[in-house]
Amino acid sequence: MKRYVCPLLAVSLVCLLGPSGCGKGETRQGFHIGVITSLTGSTAAFGQAHKNGYAVALADVNAKGGVLGKQVVLDYYDDQSKPDQAVQGVSKLVDQNHVSMILGAYSSENTRAIVPVVTQKQVVLLMPTATADNVMETGSPWAFRICAGSGAYAATTLDFLEHNGAPKTIAIVYENTNFGQSNEKSMLDAAKAAGLDVADTEAYQASSPDYKALLQRVKSKNPEAVYFASYLLDASTLMRQAEQVGLNPKYYTSAGTGFAAAEFPTTDKGAGKNAEYTFSVSQWLPTARWNGSKEFDEAFFKNTGAHPAYHAMEAYAALITAAAAINAAKSADATAIRNSLRQIDLPDTPFGPVKFDAQGQNQHPVLITQVLEGQYKVVWPTGAAEAKAVIPTPPWNKR
Amino acid sequence: MDAFFSALQAILNGLLTGALYALVGMGMALIFGVMRIVNFAHGTFLMLGMYATYYIFEKTGLNPYFGFVLASAFLFCLGYLIYRGLIQHMPVHSDFMQILLTLGLALIFTDTIQLTFGADYHQLNLPLLAKNVHLGPQISLNAPWLVSFGLAVVLGSGMYWFVMHTRIGRAARAIAQNRYASPLVGINVHAVQAVSFGLGVAGAGIAGGLLLPVFYIYPTVGDQFTLKAFVMVVLGGMGSIQGAAVAGLVLGVVESLTSLYWGNEWALAVDFVIFLLVLSLRPAGIFGSQRV
Amino acid sequence: MTRSKSLIAAGLFAVCLLVPLVVRADYNLQVLFRVFLFAALGLAWNLVGGYAGQLSLGHAAYFGSGAYAMALLPPLGVSLWLALFLGIILAMAFAALIGGVSFRLRGPYFALATIAFAEVLRLLAKNLPSVTGGDVGIQVPSLFAHAINRSFYFAAVVLTAMAFSVTVWVSRSKFGYYLMAIREDEDTALSVGVNTARTKLKALFLSAGITALGGALYGSLFLFIVPDQVLSLDISNEIAIVAMLGGAGTVLGPILGSIILESASEIFKNVFHEAHLLIYGLLLVVVVMFLPEGIVGTVNSLLARRRATSATAAKSQAQRNSAP
Repeated sequence: MKRYVCPLLAVSLVCLLGPSGCGKGETRQGFHIGVITSLTGSTAAFGQAHKNGYAVALADVNAKGGVLGKQVVLDYYDDQSKPDQAVQGVSKLVDQNHVSMILGAYSSENTRAIVPVVTQKQVVLLMPTATADNVMETGSPWAFRICAGSGAYAATTLDFLEHNGAPKTIAIVYENTNFGQSNEKSMLDAAKAAGLDVADTEAYQASSPDYKALLQRVKSKNPEAVYFASYLLDASTLMRQAEQVGLNPKYYTSAGTGFAAAEFPTTDKGAGKNAEYTFSVSQWLPTARWNGSKEFDEAFFKNTGAHPAYHAMEAYAALITAAAAINAAKSADATAIRNSLRQIDLPDTPFGPVKFDAQGQNQHPVLITQVLEGQYKVVWPTGAAEAKAVIPTPPWNKR
Repeated sequence: MDAFFSALQAILNGLLTGALYALVGMGMALIFGVMRIVNFAHGTFLMLGMYATYYIFEKTGLNPYFGFVLASAFLFCLGYLIYRGLIQHMPVHSDFMQILLTLGLALIFTDTIQLTFGADYHQLNLPLLAKNVHLGPQISLNAPWLVSFGLAVVLGSGMYWFVMHTRIGRAARAIAQNRYASPLVGINVHAVQAVSFGLGVAGAGIAGGLLLPVFYIYPTVGDQFTLKAFVMVVLGGMGSIQGAAVAGLVLGVVESLTSLYWGNEWALAVDFVIFLLVLSLRPAGIFGSQRV
Repeated sequence: MTRSKSLIAAGLFAVCLLVPLVVRADYNLQVLFRVFLFAALGLAWNLVGGYAGQLSLGHAAYFGSGAYAMALLPPLGVSLWLALFLGIILAMAFAALIGGVSFRLRGPYFALATIAFAEVLRLLAKNLPSVTGGDVGIQVPSLFAHAINRSFYFAAVVLTAMAFSVTVWVSRSKFGYYLMAIREDEDTALSVGVNTARTKLKALFLSAGITALGGALYGSLFLFIVPDQVLSLDISNEIAIVAMLGGAGTVLGPILGSIILESASEIFKNVFHEAHLLIYGLLLVVVVMFLPEGIVGTVNSLLARRRATSATAAKSQAQRNSAP
């Protein structure tokens, strides 16, 4: 027995110290910024979108001289789409890589999970894509969010509806995940506050092949408007099957994402003509009129062969904002960077104006678009509108 | 009257989905029901079938409704090789070891696909997708699902005929009955098992290929089907290919009706509850005759 | 346990408690927390899976019970430590239900039934967001206010020590013999008068209780849980793999399995990035093909064979010596 104890203990020691050893070999040249995102797991596709967005931003930032005179290096940690891994990632990036700023995570639940630990470790967190309302609920002074939240989505949609026909009833169809559930909650609260009657709420298991039964239920409640929280593939299926079921509300609205994807109005990868007349909230489109937007789209397409969805754009925006803040702070100290972010005012980024309020939320404008003749056209607010909204939505058999 | 048509529509849709489930279940019935191999990679093989069919379509333009044949041939070979190379040589054949092995294989294949094709979703939008068959004003059925249904029925019957009426099929059932006596009557156990395993894997691959036009493709798409496949085999009764097929249809209809009356989010939970009820009350399943 | 082995165990325990003096960084403490947590979970699983031979792949049900008890009860005014205790009770209640139904089944049916139960619980938690927070998640209060990572590390070490002691006691007791008898041949055990149903349930209660404690600690450290984390098939698989990799049915197995597996996961992630799951899968295949009894099991077999050959060598030597 004794002969085997020593080698077993040796193996154990190696294994226990192994993970600790992994950080030290990295080069300390350059300015390191931590990134937590889902490179594997259920949201890996979006983690990769993040990575691709960060890559374009990295090239841009480093071409302009980097940060504090050094080239920026991104230290990635894969949270495997799991909240506890994201928390572990913060510890690793801070303890081993000694970063003072972290960008991430992808999903709302992972992002929400890391807010307490970045607060405790006093490093700056800049969130690119987490839209659930609860990510900002702790009020931590270290947390900043660059994208608009689901509350803003619901409020803007209802505002648009009120000024465009004021429907009395709305149904909410959402996927049974954090994204869906948080948007449902936001819309439910906002609708009640606005005095709308929520005729029906339907949760669905994402990536199901068949939603016709669900859509039949919605149809039976006869809502004037329907609000979807879906990713691209379900959005396409839902719209196709809505035609098969004969669901004809006056308004098809949505919390963006699938209904705002570049591929959604296309025939080969989206809902094709079934996407027509759908409304969506939008944080960004490749055709947006902001300075540098088109260039981002082109650079992204050149790197990956596909057009970016807004997740990639938000990642891009996060990194260039981070670089701007660090340069303005003229320091690598986390507190200095945080203060710099509080005061930063970038009126003209490819993602539009970036300015954080007292709670760390960027007041990113939310637009409403409608798919008209296969293109997304901004229809709200009136100041930014490029086309007049077509209301009510023509029934399927009249198209 | 509307309620009647709603229910009828839901049942018909459920049958169409159920036919594809049945293909997956029949493959698993062969592997788990007949060969008693606990295969946690079954859904992954379905995913590989989808990707293979997709790849063939992208490279040659071959319609998935023909391409799936090539894909399933590829998967048959893969299954055969996995049996011959790994399963046959497992030092310990316990259930848990099989689970570990197949779990490991599932991870390997899923990650390889992700590294090769990326984690992003893909979709194949055939023009057929927009066509619907109308039975009266109230019922409409989506064309690709009807095609899949037809093909699934044909292939399922083929699989059933194979297991029941060919020599290899009979040999496989003989091995399931009595593994030790089989070599005595001249059966090459490993060769037969390898072919059966390959066939079961091919079954999953065919289902994947047929799902391609109506579904989405991404590396983890198969995971949801593995557990359902086990449910079908148990529901149908161990060792019964036709039982798994019926169970697949039942599952499809149950899920559809649950979506209609309760909510789509409960469909999977209802699957498991039925599974547990069957295990508690009639463990032999619908067609099963063996003791559990 | 012999005196010297008890002393070694106590000594190692003390060493583990002293580790935070050397290891200060939160990341390392969190990795070590995970190692000890899964060692404890593996040991707990081992009671049912290793000693009783009942392959449970649904232990996430108990893990999640502990975690959700910590999340749901304190806001109702329950003290943290009482919530911990109630989480254990909840897990045992589920154990009674799950065991009652599943223990009548054999082989893979039992495993599938346990998976189904855990999945139903996960879906219930996911689909009832007004109760459990659903996928949006729910906050969990922290058990400790100061030196958080260090305190949780200690808690995990203590939990492992508890699980270890229970395992040692089981392996030497009559109860343990009954379990092993059930594992080897349940029908025969029944025929010689072992109350198999009650024995298996007892093991499951013990197992569920420890697992629930682990879940509560886990939730309390990460402060935020979602159903796909604490009630998932992934957790159930990880617990079972840790025990089997190390060696099911052995006392040291799960501990070693956890050390190797959790560290390997972390190293793979940092070294292989997106390919780490591929490497992990390869590891599983390698273990199945070459180390089926787990590491400790294989070591024990090698030792046994050595002893056997040296015994026969000694015997034949003695025979030769005594030959006329």
